[in-house]
Amino acid sequence: MTDPQVHVIDDDEAVRTSVAFLLEMADLPARTYGSAREFLEVVDSLRTGCVVTDVRMPGMSGLDLVRHLKDTGVKLPVIVITGHGDVPMAVEAMRAGVTDFLEKPFDDVALIAAVRAALDQQVATAPYPEERERFETMLGALSGREREVLQGVIAGKQNKVIAFELGISPRTVEVYRANVMSKTGAHSLSELVRIALLAGL
Amino acid sequence: MLNRTIHDRGMPGFVVAILSTGICAAARMVLGAEPQSDLAFLLFVPALIASAAAGGLAPAILAAVLSISVTLGMEGLPKEMTPDHWVQIIVFAGLSVAAGLVGDRMLRNADAARRVVADLEAREAHLQSILATVPDAMIVIDEHGTIQSFSTTAERQFGWTQQEAVGRNVSSLMPNPYREAHDGYLLRYLTSGERRIIGIGRVVVGERKDGSTFPMELSVGEMRSSDQRYFTGFIRDLTERQVAERRLQSLQGELVHVGRITALGEMASALAHELNQPLTAAANFMKGCLMLLDREPVDRGRLREMISQAGDQALRAGQIIRRLRDFLSKGEADRQPESLPQLLEEAGALAMIGAREKGVHLTFRIDPQTRRVMADKVQIQQVTLNLIRNAIEAMEGSERRDLVVGAAPGAGDLVEVFVSDTGHGISPEFTAKLFQPFMTTKDQGMGVGLSISRTIVEAHGGRIWAEANPGGGTSFRFTLPVADTDNEHDHD
Repeated sequence: MTDPQVHVIDDDEAVRTSVAFLLEMADLPARTYGSAREFLEVVDSLRTGCVVTDVRMPGMSGLDLVRHLKDTGVKLPVIVITGHGDVPMAVEAMRAGVTDFLEKPFDDVALIAAVRAALDQQVATAPYPEERERFETMLGALSGREREVLQGVIAGKQNKVIAFELGISPRTVEVYRANVMSKTGAHSLSELVRIALLAGL
Repeated sequence: MLNRTIHDRGMPGFVVAILSTGICAAARMVLGAEPQSDLAFLLFVPALIASAAAGGLAPAILAAVLSISVTLGMEGLPKEMTPDHWVQIIVFAGLSVAAGLVGDRMLRNADAARRVVADLEAREAHLQSILATVPDAMIVIDEHGTIQSFSTTAERQFGWTQQEAVGRNVSSLMPNPYREAHDGYLLRYLTSGERRIIGIGRVVVGERKDGSTFPMELSVGEMRSSDQRYFTGFIRDLTERQVAERRLQSLQGELVHVGRITALGEMASALAHELNQPLTAAANFMKGCLMLLDREPVDRGRLREMISQAGDQALRAGQIIRRLRDFLSKGEADRQPESLPQLLEEAGALAMIGAREKGVHLTFRIDPQTRRVMADKVQIQQVTLNLIRNAIEAMEGSERRDLVVGAAPGAGDLVEVFVSDTGHGISPEFTAKLFQPFMTTKDQGMGVGLSISRTIVEAHGGRIWAEANPGGGTSFRFTLPVADTDNEHDHD
């Protein structure tokens, strides 16, 4: 039996068991923890692997854990799973330094790909170099106004606030938003935020 | 108080006694009455009565004493006092006492009457000042419904002046069908004594002079004066914002236990989060099983265990939904016989706040046969309010904005309630999905209102559906069980 490579933290037993099972089937041995504290007890002995954690948990939240790991110099990549991806949460997670985040319920392929990428990242210097390049090209194709609207969106602002600040109607903001979504190929807001933040907007 | 008034009028009484006795003595001298005749004292009787009337007993006795003295003084004492003389004096003295007592009594009555009148005037002024200042309108009607009094606030609320309103039938202040039915309501009360509104108070709809309607809170008191009965109505216009808000707040307080319309959004969000857990787990287990199947040899034990776990998670999702249903239906404990007209009128009046300005015209068409249903009033009002609000929104772009809320006996032991609008209608492909959660045609909608309405109605043993109106617009209909006929007369 190989050493566990993935550390799955979720207060919901069914969710963490199912995630571990899924990863195991993809030849990614996993170990489960019911809380962030439980994981912190063993973290010092870990040198490799990656963390998959839920955000909303009693006690220490997923984001608190990410910040704590950063502060204590633990370099394990972290993938965050959000209950429902609201933009401010996604932005906060990316800024806190998570490697990736997924919205529940997530696609098994997406989870496995994210975990594999995170494990590879330990070898590579920068996260997702090709992806980042692709995202930068995508954002380069946006018009000035589309960029401004996107900046407003990832700042977690409502459409009408963006409209007011740019001096355009909320309807127009919606149109720009739709354009941004189609040009980047993002399917959801959180995906859009991920693209924008990875591309360094 | 009484003593003082007697003292006060004592002085004029004594003056009248002296003067009138003098006048009578003078008259006697002028007439030259036979000395010591039988009529000696008779001429002094007017003085006696005048004194008694002016001052009561004491002046009357004074007049009698003076009269006797004057008579004796003028004629001298008879040489021999015959029994006739004594009789005359005694009768005269007795007469003076009697006249005095009668006078006293008259004066006292007059005093009392004056006091009562003054008292009444003070009360009338007090009442007028109250009526001019209370924010509620006050209307007094007689047994026939004819308006007897119409306060200043009523003038403002209904647009009629007092002169115009007094003498009219009070039914001109309400929209149909109440206008036509009101005489019947009065008659029913007068003959049966059954109270539907008197001493209870409820939210109803009023109609202004210009034909517009408004929600109002009406309380009615009853008054008997001699053999006439009068009814006094106090009316609070619920469209007057402040009052409306206060009233709304208290009503919304009652609605706390059913997720209020605003709280429904939060509930839906919490529900979405909670449902995500088992759905995520179930999906992961199943996807994992698919991968497990690709591995040779297939670990059947593991496969069985994981599929079973996936099934458990699907059931867990179902339990979350069931908990929501229980929360909404809150069991049957709060269901009791409720008056359907009252329930619908209150919901209508509340839902119409602010809608009149949008040009929406609300008519109630409640079949008088459909009075009482088994319902949790607050929940069914929530459903009705929801449907009316939807209807008002649906009519925003329409030229005609007629809203009809009504009820009629349905099949079996059911009553059918409907909310019908002249709005943009619902496309046929959407009609089938209307009551599914998170279905919405509105920009701001969560799509939970109708699905929760359905949960409530079905928990009551009813059914809810929508149908297109022949002339355009939509009718939402739902059924409720009729309250036990045994309870039909079992209310105050």
